[in-house]
Amino acid sequence: MRICHLVTLATLLAARDSSAQSIEAGAQLVPVVTRADPTATRADLTEGYLAQPIAMVHAKRGSLRGIGTLNLEGLSMQRGELVTGAFGEGFVDRRHPHAYIHELLAGVEFPRDGTAQRPPFDASLFFGRGFAPFGSDDPMTRPFEKYPVNHHLGQVLERVLAVAAVRYGPIIGEFGVFNGDEPTGPAAAPNWGRFGDSWSTRLTLLPSPHTELSGSVAHVTSPEIRAGHGLDQQKSSLVARYDFDHANGSRQYALVEWAHTDDTDHGTTINSLYTVLGEAAVCRADAILAARLERTDRPEEEPTSDPFRTPRPPSDLSNLGESRWTTLTIAVASPSVKAGFVRGRPFIEVARIWVAPGNPAGIFNPELRYGTDRLWMFTLGLRLTAGMMHERMGRYGAALPDAVQTLPAPAKSDSMPPDMPNMPGMPSTKPPMQSSMHMNMRCHL
Amino acid sequence: MRAVSFILAAFVAVALAACGSDAVSSPTTHAPTSCPGIDLGARPSTISLSPANPVAMQVLGAGIDSLRYTAEVAARGTVAYTTTWGFRGANAGNRINVWDVSGNVPSLIDTINVVGATTLGDVAVSDDGSLLVVATERAGGSIVIFDLSDPKHPKQLSRFSNADTDPGVHTAEIGRVNGVLYGFLSIDPIGSTPARLVIVDLRNPSAPQEVFTKVTGNPFVHDTFIRDGLLFVALWDDGLEIWDLGGCGTGGVASPSHPVVLGGVKTLGGQVHNVWWYHDPDGGKRFAFVGQEGPGAIGTSSKGDIHVVDVSDPSQPKEVAFYHVDGAGTHNFSVDEAKGILYAAYYNGGVRAIDIRGDLATCSANQQVTNGNPLLTRCDLRLGGRELGIGLLDQNRAVYLWGVQFVNGRVYGSDMLNGIWTLAALTR
Repeated sequence: MRICHLVTLATLLAARDSSAQSIEAGAQLVPVVTRADPTATRADLTEGYLAQPIAMVHAKRGSLRGIGTLNLEGLSMQRGELVTGAFGEGFVDRRHPHAYIHELLAGVEFPRDGTAQRPPFDASLFFGRGFAPFGSDDPMTRPFEKYPVNHHLGQVLERVLAVAAVRYGPIIGEFGVFNGDEPTGPAAAPNWGRFGDSWSTRLTLLPSPHTELSGSVAHVTSPEIRAGHGLDQQKSSLVARYDFDHANGSRQYALVEWAHTDDTDHGTTINSLYTVLGEAAVCRADAILAARLERTDRPEEEPTSDPFRTPRPPSDLSNLGESRWTTLTIAVASPSVKAGFVRGRPFIEVARIWVAPGNPAGIFNPELRYGTDRLWMFTLGLRLTAGMMHERMGRYGAALPDAVQTLPAPAKSDSMPPDMPNMPGMPSTKPPMQSSMHMNMRCHL
Repeated sequence: MRAVSFILAAFVAVALAACGSDAVSSPTTHAPTSCPGIDLGARPSTISLSPANPVAMQVLGAGIDSLRYTAEVAARGTVAYTTTWGFRGANAGNRINVWDVSGNVPSLIDTINVVGATTLGDVAVSDDGSLLVVATERAGGSIVIFDLSDPKHPKQLSRFSNADTDPGVHTAEIGRVNGVLYGFLSIDPIGSTPARLVIVDLRNPSAPQEVFTKVTGNPFVHDTFIRDGLLFVALWDDGLEIWDLGGCGTGGVASPSHPVVLGGVKTLGGQVHNVWWYHDPDGGKRFAFVGQEGPGAIGTSSKGDIHVVDVSDPSQPKEVAFYHVDGAGTHNFSVDEAKGILYAAYYNGGVRAIDIRGDLATCSANQQVTNGNPLLTRCDLRLGGRELGIGLLDQNRAVYLWGVQFVNGRVYGSDMLNGIWTLAALTR
């Protein structure tokens, strides 16, 4: 497995050095201040972070592809980020820092070209660490800084995987195999020996240029115990997504998601967790207004002496029942400002949160845990970006639908950093299949 | 001269015959070759029971603790100790409750807060009643040792922790090997660091010394049971292992600082959590009882059977029977060995009393279950009429039983939700 990472790096380096190839790079950092009132401490808490510090590279050489995303949250927010209701990877009411190697994949694409020499469909095969073909896009590429509570129900990520995708007309099929164990920390290596013990598959329908419908299922073996022998997960997801990037620079986006995860023990369901989420955003004159409403079940676990942490792996007796989180989030972001090659977009997010006992409630009691069943979360931040940013995260190669209609890159535009690749004079960046890198820097969500 | 030779030969013959006669009646007659130092006794006879509805165990009283979640119970004489677990609101599981159980209703007579702890998962009293040992979990692993010169008011002697006891001591059992008291600590795994077992010499309880540690368990080692120099180790999905700590009499090779693995068995379903090696009143030591702890939700549900393992050959233990409760799972045991009754805490299923007399490996065809595996035919103890009693399901309140202890005709049950219960033991 380690060889795949070397291959990916070699692919990226080869692409950099070849005049016939291209490389796209970008970086992001979100300085942010959050106030949670109250949080797991039963009191209000205000904290600041450098959230989502990432650097990403997409490279291509012929039909070869390399994808890398470095995530430095393990350095900048080791304690996690206050997100009331969040859970996963031993964190609760904080979003955990992601793995340093968020994505590192090498792939090969076989696009259709309309000739008889190639089959009449697009195909791709990627191998490395990244997103399993399941659920919706990574929340990091969606219109909110705060992740939804359902992150661990709606995505399966940071696994060593092999994923194949085929697109024929408006239909995309994906299948991936991967290791079930989730990262035990930002620098933790996956359990290589478990590669292939889990799988997922996703079917996507593209009924119109801006709309996609997808359904996916996954079997994830013992995600919470690295050595295995923990609860398995049977997951399913339905997603409808709309994204229209108008020629006048405005943009409309909407996503509706339903997902379900059963934690199972030898085939018997132990926890049954549901989530329903709807979010929408409009962008005009580069100002963005977004809203998200979700209702998500959360498994409650015995906390450690740190109320924001739960033991990993969980011990024999740690399940306190389930809670149900209903969260309404409103986000407003101003037009971006540019300083050199860096763009900054200030934003504010306000979330109103209701928490109630789930089914089964077990011994979870919101009054005992938080002192109330209604909570607030306020976030003020500045999204800093440079270069080309991911528009989608969670799909590779032929699985990237063209629901986002990207505009051709301006011949010479102040929206394109002058010192970044993908400039006139460079080889064409129009990929044989859809790129996930965003081309229109205005109204980038 | 011939007469002398004849007399000598006759003497030798008589002596040999006498030795042979000794061998037949010696305590090692039923010793397995894999462990010649242990006399397992004669195989118990098969008993036939008529299936009958279990009786409701009589509840004598309750000591209610609604401030914290109660964990394990240990009792000796007229005093019982309960530990506490996790967080109940802002109240951490850092408290040991001391109960006077001389009457029917437990009376709280002392509380001890353990500094820096959030979960005290396990508690045990030494066989001579001189020490109380409590395990700490989550906020750093340790064992806290108390002097029981005044059993109603334990005094802390020491606290033992080192790099091997992090991140937490899940259980701490204590027992004697060759007259020396040892602690057997099951350590939680964390992240990619695996679980381990630590053995501590408690000869000087003010200064415990680690004598052995081993990475073991898949992924957990949850509990141990020490008796007659054998250590029974619950290794979750790696099953049950039997370690010789010197009980097998193999010439000093095995000891607490150098355990020798005799054998093991993977019981059906794995999740091996706890063990009790049963010594029946007739000297039989053929069966061990394994608790399987499946996943559940505290206060609501639980899962897992009791598995009966024939340890007649400790190098090849074999599962022979089981006890199952629909909708509930077992946790810790205590046995009235004189009467042959096993009491099991069954979380939301209350307390269960099971008849464990006789040969548990033998049953009629209609009491046998294969679970689809013809190589593993097991006797269903319920079908065999061995379910004697059920306790605490008639209290008009939810219960979630963590542990039980049988002492002097009573059964003390620790209930995570409510505190401690006193039940009358069954008289059969």
